[in-house]
Amino acid sequence: MGKTIIDAHNVSKTYKETMVPVKALQDVHLHIEEGEFVALVGPSGSGKSTLLNMIGGLDEPTSGTVFVDGVEITKLSENKMIDFRLQNIGFVFQSFNLIPVLTSRENIGFVLQLQKVPKKDREKRVLELLREVGLEEKVNSRPGELSGGQQQRVAVARALASKPKIILADEPTANLDSKSAGNLMDIMAKLNQEEKITFLFSTHDQRVIEKARRVITLVDGKVDSDVVQTPT
Amino acid sequence: MMFLKLAWLNIWRNRRRTLITVASVFFAVLLAITFRSVTDGVYENMIHNVVSYSSGYLQIHKKGYWDEQSIDNSFEADEQLSKKLLNNPKITYLMPRLETFALSSFADKTKGVMVLGIDPVSEKEVNRLNEKIIEGQYFESNNVDHILIGSGLAEQLNTKVNDTLVLIGQGYHASSAAGKFKIDGILKLGSPELNSNVIYMPLQASQYLYGAENRLTSLSIMLGKTSDLESSKRAVENTIDIEAYEVMTWKQMMPEMDQFIEADSAGHYIIIGILYFIISFGLFGTLLMMTFERNREFGILIAIGMKKRLLAYVVLLESIMISLMGCLMGVLAGILIVHLFTENPVQFSGSLREVYEDYGFEPIIYFSGHIRIFITQTLIILVLAILLALYPGFKILRLKPVDAINS
Ligand SMILES: Nc1ncnc2c1ncn2[C@@H]1O[C@H](COP(=O)(O)OP(=O)(O)OP(=O)(O)O)[C@@H](O)[C@H]1O
Ligand SMILES: [Mg+2]
Repeated sequence: MGKTIIDAHNVSKTYKETMVPVKALQDVHLHIEEGEFVALVGPSGSGKSTLLNMIGGLDEPTSGTVFVDGVEITKLSENKMIDFRLQNIGFVFQSFNLIPVLTSRENIGFVLQLQKVPKKDREKRVLELLREVGLEEKVNSRPGELSGGQQQRVAVARALASKPKIILADEPTANLDSKSAGNLMDIMAKLNQEEKITFLFSTHDQRVIEKARRVITLVDGKVDSDVVQTPT
Repeated sequence: MMFLKLAWLNIWRNRRRTLITVASVFFAVLLAITFRSVTDGVYENMIHNVVSYSSGYLQIHKKGYWDEQSIDNSFEADEQLSKKLLNNPKITYLMPRLETFALSSFADKTKGVMVLGIDPVSEKEVNRLNEKIIEGQYFESNNVDHILIGSGLAEQLNTKVNDTLVLIGQGYHASSAAGKFKIDGILKLGSPELNSNVIYMPLQASQYLYGAENRLTSLSIMLGKTSDLESSKRAVENTIDIEAYEVMTWKQMMPEMDQFIEADSAGHYIIIGILYFIISFGLFGTLLMMTFERNREFGILIAIGMKKRLLAYVVLLESIMISLMGCLMGVLAGILIVHLFTENPVQFSGSLREVYEDYGFEPIIYFSGHIRIFITQTLIILVLAILLALYPGFKILRLKPVDAINS
């Protein structure tokens, strides 16, 4: 048994602002250990994004508790939570993750600067990260000069920059063609293998699901199935 | 550093919008500076003109003189003091005066008049009294029983140049003062009040007439700059014995003029206020657009660990950058314009010119190049930039990252 990294108990989320309250999550239990590579699947509206946001502390559950690396994040103040994310959680969204006016180098360096990493170490780490996602030659390109797949790879590199325990990715491949999607998944799988970084990503894409070693399926805000598989 | 750079890059995301906003700030600042420069210049010129005929910027009297203006409250002229005062670089001239009253008569006409004993040289330099002569000539020496009289008075007494007036009054310590004085010249003075009441005579002649040898009722002080008033007053007070003397500013001696200027400039502040109010809308609109169109990006930045107050800080920097750019360009252009018009003064023409000349003012639009004008406008813009960034900043602090990312 590895170390528990994500531990969600009885997490429910009800959106009450709508005409009819929406139960986006209902009593979800989730237990993920360090180094896992987990796909979160389910039909549209099943609560995948909501669950990722709860785990990343971007939103608060209506009830239930979430522990990340032993810290009860559902109890953290907003500013503490932001700091916690900076140090422990990397986020990758579906698209347009990057600051358009900054180059790849600066986008990745930005997180390091927020962490107050000295300039020299920063430079080294940025290049290292870009190498890991295979984009060394794009250090000085702005997002607008990169393809969607390349942008997502820079976003993954940025998520990695802070040396987080987990990376949460909400449909990271949704806007990519299958080749770029496969490429991004290979990079994520490699980082998971080599650096033992825990990945939790939502997806609709069968080929992406196949890369996962564990697949959690949500239906109507509940965990419908949770299976371990051998990635292809 | 990183945030400065980010803010700078951000403002150029929409080049045209930023340039338009910068231009609006630029024109507002330039207009405001030019406007302040002209109004301040006109006031300064007016003050200078008025005080050089009357009180001077500052006046030293014997303590109590201002409340009881009598020759008995005169004081002894002091060479040492004059020297010390003139050592102050802010002080340009001293005008010693002995101001008294007398009954003047010529043939069968008699009139009460104000007799000003003056130093012909310094008055000539300060207020060009000699140029106001419409008949006859200015004093040739300092110690003769000659006088200059206002043209209004000359009419009332029915006198002309080279006539001799008799003056009778009360001298120092109730001595009697009487003498005959030859009219050297007739003056046309701007103020009708002075014009029909004043007689100028050389200081020594008046001291002799009133039995007040070497005494003055006032020592008027001229300054290089209108704005040095209060600091110079303090400097003068430090030079003299304030138990024995009083130092007054023109504002204290002529409160009506001070109030007039205050009231008049209040109107100008309103005009400038409206100007800035209008550009505030433009700046505010730009800021709102700049922040709202980046809502999703803000959400993502919060998700990757950037504190909301840092985001608000970046937006504040953006606001300051846009407005300061326009402001600094406006200040530079303002300096150029003020410089240009100071070097090549604009002359009034037509009836306005006559009015000015009647009052003995030069018919010129003065531009004040006082640094205060430039600093004030810059500060106003800076404060505006900060105030206007408050609302978008507040919006950022209340931003829900999830909603922002989904927007
Ligand atoms: N801010 C919100 N206000 C109201 N309802 C919401 C809000 N966000 C999500 N929901 C609702 O909660 C449910 C779960 O949404 P969620 O976005 O988590 O689904 P999802 O599994 O990520 O779907 P998709 O695959 O389409 O991204 C949906 O019914 C959605 O309409
Ligand atoms: Mg979703």
